[in-house]
Parts: sequence; C-alpha cells; structure tokens
Amino acid sequence: MRALIAAAAGLALAFALVLTLTAVGTPTGKTSPKPMLTTVPSHP
Amino acid sequence: MRRKSGLVLLALAVFFAALSPLLRWYAFPRLAKVPANQYQDMVLEAKDATLLDYGTMTAKKVSKVTIVQTLKGDVEASEKIEKTAGRDVVVWDGLSYVQGPDGKMVSKIPERYIFDAHTQEPVHATGEMVDGTPVKREGIEFKWPFLVEKRDYEYFDAQARVTAPIHYKGTRDFRGVSVYYFEQTIPWTKVPFPRTMPVEGITPETVAATGTTRWYTTVRKFWVEPVTGAPVYGEEIHQEELRGGTLLGGREKVTAFAGHVKMREDYIESTVDLVKSQRVLVLLMTSYLPWGFLSLGVLLLALALYLEARGRRPADPVPAETSAPEPVTA
Repeated sequence: MRALIAAAAGLALAFALVLTLTAVGTPTGKTSPKPMLTTVPSHP
Repeated sequence: MRRKSGLVLLALAVFFAALSPLLRWYAFPRLAKVPANQYQDMVLEAKDATLLDYGTMTAKKVSKVTIVQTLKGDVEASEKIEKTAGRDVVVWDGLSYVQGPDGKMVSKIPERYIFDAHTQEPVHATGEMVDGTPVKREGIEFKWPFLVEKRDYEYFDAQARVTAPIHYKGTRDFRGVSVYYFEQTIPWTKVPFPRTMPVEGITPETVAATGTTRWYTTVRKFWVEPVTGAPVYGEEIHQEELRGGTLLGGREKVTAFAGHVKMREDYIESTVDLVKSQRVLVLLMTSYLPWGFLSLGVLLLALALYLEARGRRPADPVPAETSAPEPVTA
C-alpha cells in the first residue's frame, strides 16, 4: 500500500510539473524596434 | 529507515519515468513555437544577372543584384488575432527589397504572413497580404514545421500567389549539418506588377494600360535542418519577362530579370550557427531529456527494488540468551 502511494505521488508530481510548465508557457516579448531594411547590411 | 529510502526512490523513479513521455508528447508540442517577436534579415545576391533598363526598355547584364529580405514579428497584431483564433499565432511582416548594382531600388514587395506558432500552418485573418493585395495562403512559407518529415510539402509562392508542392529530394550534408533538400518549380506564370515601380511616374496601372504583362518562373531550392524546420540555405533560379503590349515597341518579350539568387556567404555562416544552437534546444525536449529521464527512472526503480529486497531478507538468528543459574537454597 505504501509503495502504491509513493508511486502515485511521483506520478502526480510529474503531471503537476508538466502542466504548470505548459500553462506558464514562454514569454512573447515585444515587437522589435528595428526597421524593415531598404539598404544592404554590411554584416548579419 | 531503509524501507523509507526505498519508497522515496520509487516515487522518484515513477516521477522521472512519467516525465519522459509527458515532456516529449505533451509539453514539447505546446512549448516549441516560433517566437512572436522574431526579427531576422537576410541578404541574397544574384551575380552576373540580367536586369531590365526601364529607360531603354532593354535587358542588360549587370554585375550584381541584391535582395534584402526582412522578417519582423508584430507582437501586438499576433495577440489581437490570438483572441479570436484561440491559438498561438505569429504575424510576420516581410519586405523583399531588390537593389540594382548602382544601389537604386528595383522593386520592393511587402507582405504579411500569419501562421500558427507551433505547426506553422497559415492562419487566415484580416491583414494577410502580398504587396498590399489580400491573399489566403495555403501551405508553408519561409519556415518548415518542427521535426520535418521526408515528404513533399505545400509551399506558398508570394510572386505568383499560388501554393504548389515543394518536393523532398533527399538528405544532404550542408557544412556539417544534416539537412533535407527541397525543390519547387513554378512554371511560367502571369504575375501582377509590383505596386512600387523603379521609375517615378510609372505605376502598375499605367503599364497595364499598354497591354504589357509580367511573367515569372522560378526553381526554388531549400536546405532545411529537419529538427528545427529552419532553412540553413536557399537558392532561386529566377526569371521574369515582360510580354506583349505597346511598351515593348513591337517586341514579343523582354527579360525583366534573370539570375541565380544565392544567400550571401556571411549570412550562410550566421544562419548555420543560429540553427545549430536552436537544434540543441529542440533536441533537449524531444530526445536528450526524455531519454535521460527514462534511464534515470529505470535506474531509480532498480535501486528501490534492491533496497526493498534487502529490507525483506530474514535477519540472522539471535543467539539464545543464557541466564545465570539462580542460587538454590535448601
């Protein structure tokens, strides 16, 4: 019974971590202030 | 104490074993996405190209034609579309600025490309356009989806504004990176004149009034890194002609542009470096971490079972206690 509880706890923790990570997601940031280029840049 | 450690190890074993598939098949498709705020520029060159001289309306050989391509993510526009689309969306504003050998503008074509940040499927919303004309894209453009498959894809051609297959032609090695090579041929197709013409006073409407039409064909080649779906190199064998009408003075057709367009060397190097670093991030979620967690889970499970087995082993027999004989009293 104790083993079953330990396994369930591990499983729940894995689900909680992944669900939290995906819910938080990745930051979107802001639109770059750099212009659309109409001259040839000298380097990347 | 040993039994408690075994239970903790079992819980950790299940945690890591479960994390492995969850990371690969649940978290990865939701976390891996094209950032909405991406900004990227690219320089392509066509050396010894043919270019139309609008002054004499004749085709001339030139040393070089340069194409500067900028892609800029509009975060505010993507957030606005996400509210109605109900998914992560990227809005890319693109500008293809073509410059002759004298530095003068040959053409500039803006476009707005809206697509799903995870799958790269086009999303149709107001503002989607090529050169100011609303379009409804099908297929991909600029970037392949993550984890590219060895198959043909549908690719949107912005000049002709049509979607056509881009064929998978095999796996190649490009500067130490294993890539999938794709090729698309757009046959001669009548295309609209760019809204911004290289000569002041000439508009697409005034040219159209002469009866002259613009035609285009291209062979598009992409070397795509399959994990990220990012092209590391691209080429185009591009031809444009003006046909018929009074503008050509009785001639049937004249070449407007012909050239083999290739990425500039410094941009190839920086693109390969960028894709290599992005590839590691994607592999972390699709391969390194899932396999690592699974191995760790198996290892911890084995350790937990070992501790449990040791805990259950019968203990050595306890030596029988000998009590000192009590004194006998008579």
